[in-house]
Amino acid sequence: MSTGLENGLEVSEDDLETLIGDRALDREDHVNAPGFVVRPDQVQEVLTDLRDEAGFDHLSCLTAQQYENRYESIYHLKKYADPTQEVSVVVPTAVDEPVSQSAAPVFRTADWHEREAYDLVGIEYDDHPDLRRILLPDTWQGHPLSLEYDQEQPQVVTLSEHENPVQPDHHDTESDTMFLNIGPHHPATHGVLHVKAVLDGETVVDVDPDIGYLHRCEEQMCQSGTYRHQIMPYPDRWDYVSAGLLNEWAYARAAEDLADIEVPEYAQVIRTMSAELCRIAAHMLALGTFALDVFGDFTAVFQYAFRDREVVQDILEDLTGQRLMFNYFRLGGVAWDLPEPREEFFEKTREFLDDLPAKAEEYHNLITANEIFQVRCVDTGILEPEVAKQYGCTGPVARGSGVDYDLRRDDPYGYYPELEWNVVTEDGMDNYSRVLVRMQEVKESAKIIEQCIDVLEEWPEDDREIQANVPRTLKPDADTEVYRAVEAAKGELGIYMRADGTDTPARFKIRSPCFHNLSTLAEMAQGEYIPDLIASLGSLDIVLGEVDR
Amino acid sequence: MEVPLEAGDTYLLPERISDLTGLGGFGMAGELLAAFIAAFIVGNLMLAMTGVAGPWAKRKITAAFTDRIAVNRVGPWGLFIIVADAVRLLAKEMIIPENADRPAYDLAPIVVAGSAMLGFAVIPMGSGVQLADPEVGLVYVFAVAGIASIGLVMAGYASANKYSLLGGLRAIAQNIAYEIPLVVTGMSVVLFAGTLQLSEIVAAQSEPLFTIAGVTIPAWYALVNPFAFVLFLAANFAEVGRNPFDTPEAPTEIVAGYQTEYSSVYFVLIYLGEFLHIFLGGAIIATIFLGGPAGPVLPGIVWFIIKIWAVFLLTQWLRSALPRVRIDQLIEIGWKGMLVLSFANLVLTAVIVALIESPGLWG
Repeated sequence: MSTGLENGLEVSEDDLETLIGDRALDREDHVNAPGFVVRPDQVQEVLTDLRDEAGFDHLSCLTAQQYENRYESIYHLKKYADPTQEVSVVVPTAVDEPVSQSAAPVFRTADWHEREAYDLVGIEYDDHPDLRRILLPDTWQGHPLSLEYDQEQPQVVTLSEHENPVQPDHHDTESDTMFLNIGPHHPATHGVLHVKAVLDGETVVDVDPDIGYLHRCEEQMCQSGTYRHQIMPYPDRWDYVSAGLLNEWAYARAAEDLADIEVPEYAQVIRTMSAELCRIAAHMLALGTFALDVFGDFTAVFQYAFRDREVVQDILEDLTGQRLMFNYFRLGGVAWDLPEPREEFFEKTREFLDDLPAKAEEYHNLITANEIFQVRCVDTGILEPEVAKQYGCTGPVARGSGVDYDLRRDDPYGYYPELEWNVVTEDGMDNYSRVLVRMQEVKESAKIIEQCIDVLEEWPEDDREIQANVPRTLKPDADTEVYRAVEAAKGELGIYMRADGTDTPARFKIRSPCFHNLSTLAEMAQGEYIPDLIASLGSLDIVLGEVDR
Repeated sequence: MEVPLEAGDTYLLPERISDLTGLGGFGMAGELLAAFIAAFIVGNLMLAMTGVAGPWAKRKITAAFTDRIAVNRVGPWGLFIIVADAVRLLAKEMIIPENADRPAYDLAPIVVAGSAMLGFAVIPMGSGVQLADPEVGLVYVFAVAGIASIGLVMAGYASANKYSLLGGLRAIAQNIAYEIPLVVTGMSVVLFAGTLQLSEIVAAQSEPLFTIAGVTIPAWYALVNPFAFVLFLAANFAEVGRNPFDTPEAPTEIVAGYQTEYSSVYFVLIYLGEFLHIFLGGAIIATIFLGGPAGPVLPGIVWFIIKIWAVFLLTQWLRSALPRVRIDQLIEIGWKGMLVLSFANLVLTAVIVALIESPGLWG
């Protein structure tokens, strides 16, 4: 074996070839990573080897799709230590019998991903612990992303013909447990989430999040939009609580890599600045709603968080003309330059940044320094780092468990490499740490914005290029595939695209950080009390628009 | 006609009304009518304070704490929102769950609201407003306020809703855990005053404690024994289910607890009952710790209402600023902390009282 495999740091393609050996039927290179085609009954073997021998401990995403002659599951693997090292494991299965081995025993996050692949595309996974629909209702007929799916087929299937997804009651003769539907209409589910909980008194015995209530076919809508203009508005609608620009960047980065577009540096600075503004707004909201869950009502903290977030929203409005659905990024740059007069914009932003430390202090006094808050949050909702990695957790959730992983630093893009800032981690692994991480990330984002403003102020006036020269119609070469991710507010937001030579993607897959983070809820809540389940859910900071897509 | 509230010389409101109107001349029936009129006046005063002014004030107070404006469109300072709210709430459809346990489900709101109303009967509100003054006044107040727990658990189980059930169970566990420290701490006041009669307890607090720069500080038990006062306040917040002890309702956890399935008039009643309990709690605190209606310049009843509202303001402040404790932590604080502290306080008070009353023990 080569040294790369032994020290686990840098693994070359040759190393991987040796490691996978005969099990690789073919090579299939993606823009971002080498791909190995593997037999459907050797998935677990290959993934285990890649994880244990080569250090690919992060199953970032699983894309399923159907070709004319085959189904395909693509496992996008990365390393938590170095996400620039990537490998794709491509598993084709026959059209007449789309059965593939499940990866769930190797990576726990594959559980939900394979359920989604089964639900939307129709691939069945052998050895899967619980293969049932995840986004669509149990009553759904057919698999909407498969090629033979009939869009005209009526889908009204009455609940009485099938199992009612909201179970009216649950009698267990063996034990004294009680079944409780938390949601889809519940004050603390942050949207339309349905948590099926089994309780023993006030103790949570079992939790099963039931998602999909906000499924809006985002992937399919993106597949029917053109690369150049029609897709960009959609990302705003995934994580819609002010993380819009971060989402847009995910698409921009993937599409720019796919079509080989260079973004001018000036535009990158604007992107970096505006994205961090969005991050602050998103974290403020996360903080406010978490306080809402723990404090119990629309209390002072929630209102304060919204008051301060409002300032960010105003700045973003000045910049993009929008408060919610920004649609500001374009492939190869941004829609327009900073608002005139620039001095006013800079001054407003600086004012906000100057006020921020005092506000952060106020939050610390009100929230994190409060003893009752500490009693409630410290050592509740424990998420061990190894478990977090197994579930593919990223963002503040992973960093609150001590997983030092941030794509802005580890897989640099935009203007981040030129700036001075830190990745915040906490070792508490509990609800409290996740809150602390978010509060400190706000400060780090403020640092980034400050530096970006300095750069923008100094930028020579005749060199303000906001947009690269991009053809009106983009038609990337057929069969180019790319998977790219950025650090969104909630974690790693990735996008997989496959081009088929037309101006729309043949497959558009969104890797949602909330989807992964939410899947850890059972790990965090089992054995705890209901209030801790609610607090854990709040500390995960999920947005159902992004979970369900 | 100002009548001093002195020991054994309480001129109660029913008697006063019967004397003023000459109803006393009609024998038993006249006495009953006078009593009814007096109860009607006091009851309406309390309802006006809790049901009408309370929710409006709560909106304004919470808004001030949370950096908002609150109602300001309907009438001056949004005052007419009270009328609009009343119409809205009463006009709403009443939805009763299919499997509700009917008599219990219907009775629960009445029990919750009624028990608190009963408590006001013995509170000396100053300016001669007191309906009755039994010798066991304090015990009576605690007893009738305790009836609310039954109402809550009735509401909880009769609603045929799991969230209601959880809320009802939480409410009963919480009330049992905090009723005992509450009563035991109240008893320390009885040790000082040497009586359970509320008018006597108020009278005992009018004695001067000490004098600073010509201002005489009265012997309010909050000043005599601040420890008991703080304990009582805390236990009272748990008793009325307000932050940081609002676990029985806990909107983000169990939707609205025992009141989840109540709508329209029943909701109003339950909500009113809660407000009445907060105000009754305030009235008890004012009576046994803050000198009752005592205060300079203004008439007694005004001072009394100011004191009640001060306690109410405190509940709203805590509600805006403090997180909620978890139910198991709450029970733990109750049984392991408050109970021990309240008994320690009782023993401490007993020792102090013994030392004061028998100076010979000083040695």
